[in-house]
Amino acid sequence: MNQIQPDQLKHDIKQLIIDTLNIKDIKPEDVPDDAPLFGDNNPMGLDSIDGIEIIMAVQRKYKVRMDDQNVARFILESINTIADFVSKELETQNS
Amino acid sequence: MSFIHYEHKMAAHCETGTLSGLLHFNGLELTEPMIFGIANGIFFGYFKLPMMIFPAFIVRIRPGEIRKNIEKRVGIKFHIFKYRDQHKAQIDLDNLLARGIPVAVQVDFFYMDYLPAWYRVHNNVHFITIIGKEDDKYVISDCYYPEITKLDAESLRKGRFAGGTSAPKGFMYYPESIPKSFDLPKLIVKGIEKACYNMLKIPLPIVGVKGIRRFSKKVVEWPGLARDIDHLSHEVMKINVLLEDQGTGGAGFRFMYATFLRQSAELMKNDGLMDLSAKMMKIGDDWREISVFAARIGKNRDLGADRFAELSNMIMDRADAEEQFFNELYKFVKTIKL
Repeated sequence: MNQIQPDQLKHDIKQLIIDTLNIKDIKPEDVPDDAPLFGDNNPMGLDSIDGIEIIMAVQRKYKVRMDDQNVARFILESINTIADFVSKELETQNS
Repeated sequence: MSFIHYEHKMAAHCETGTLSGLLHFNGLELTEPMIFGIANGIFFGYFKLPMMIFPAFIVRIRPGEIRKNIEKRVGIKFHIFKYRDQHKAQIDLDNLLARGIPVAVQVDFFYMDYLPAWYRVHNNVHFITIIGKEDDKYVISDCYYPEITKLDAESLRKGRFAGGTSAPKGFMYYPESIPKSFDLPKLIVKGIEKACYNMLKIPLPIVGVKGIRRFSKKVVEWPGLARDIDHLSHEVMKINVLLEDQGTGGAGFRFMYATFLRQSAELMKNDGLMDLSAKMMKIGDDWREISVFAARIGKNRDLGADRFAELSNMIMDRADAEEQFFNELYKFVKTIKL
C-alpha cells in the first residue's frame, strides 16, 4: 500500500469507525484526533465491544494485525494513536 | 530499600508474561507464546458445576499448570511458598527482595489499585512480579500495566490473602535453578503433541473439540436458563469477555498459539509449521467474529431463537476447524525429525 498522508489517514480511520459501527449523525470532522475514543469526551462514545470491531476493521482495511488485547488497548486510545500504529506498520511493510 | 533492576514488559497473559519476565531476569530467554506452547497451554473445556446457573467455558489449561509444565519439561526448579500466616508471608517476601530476588506473587486483581477502577474485577489468579520495596510501598512489574509501578503494603496484603475460589493463600515463587542447556525443538514437539492430545483425544464430552461441540449444542438452551432478558444478555456478553479479555491475548488464546507456532517455525526453519501458524491465526479471527457477534446480540438484546441458532452454527464451525487443524498439526509434528 502506498504511503498515506497523516491527515488523510486520520480522516480515513474516522470514516472507517463511523461506517463499521454505523454511527449516525457524526462526520469525520466532528471527531477530535487526540480525545480518548472511549468515554464521554468523544462524540462517538465507544465501548469495549466497539473496540474489538474497530480492531477487526482496521486489520482488514490496512492488512495489519493487533492481536494482543493489552497492546491494542493502548493503540485504540485515540485517532492519533491508531494512525501512528497504522503508519508505522505500513512503513515496515513497504521497507 | 531500592528496587531491583528489572526489565518490565507488557504481556498478553499474566501467568505466561510473569514467568517470561522472571526467566529473562535469570538469564533464560523464552517468549510468552513459547512458554504457552511448550506448556501446552491451549485448551477448551465447557462445564457447568452444580452451584452454577449458567455453564462456563475455559480456553486454556488450569491456572498454575503452565508453570508446572515448564518446570517439568524444561527442568527449571522453582522455589514455591504458600502461607496461612500473613505476617510471615510479608517477612519472607521482604527478605527475598533484600537479597535482590524478584518474586512472582499471586493476587486478587481487584486490589491492584494502580489500574483504573473500571478495569479491576475480583479475579484470584492474577500474577505480578514484586521487584522492591520503598517505605510502605512495593515496587511492581505487572504485565497488564505499561510501566513499573507501586502498590501499598496493605493493598498487596489484601490481594495476596483474598478469599473465595482459587484463593491465592500468599502463593509466590521464583526460579531457583535453570538448566544450562536443553533441546528447545524437542520441547516444542512435546508441547504440541500434548496440546493435540488434549484437544482431540481426552475421552470426555466437555473437553477439547468435543467440548466446543457441546458448547455449540447447548448454547441454544441458554434462553431457558436465564431469569430474564438482562440476565441472558449478561451471560451472552460474557462469551466476549472470556474470549477477548482476562488476558487471553485475544480470540481465546488462539492468537498466542499461532504466534508460538510461528516462532517455532522460525527457530526450526520449518515452513510446514509456518503454514499451520497462519491456519491457527485464521481460526483465531473466526473466534473473534463469535466474540463480536455475542457481544452485539447481548448488548442490543437481540436474543431470539434464530440468533442463538446462528451463534451455535458459528461455534460448530470452530469445532470443525479446530478438529481439522489439530489432526493436521499432530500428523505434521510426527514427521519432524529431531
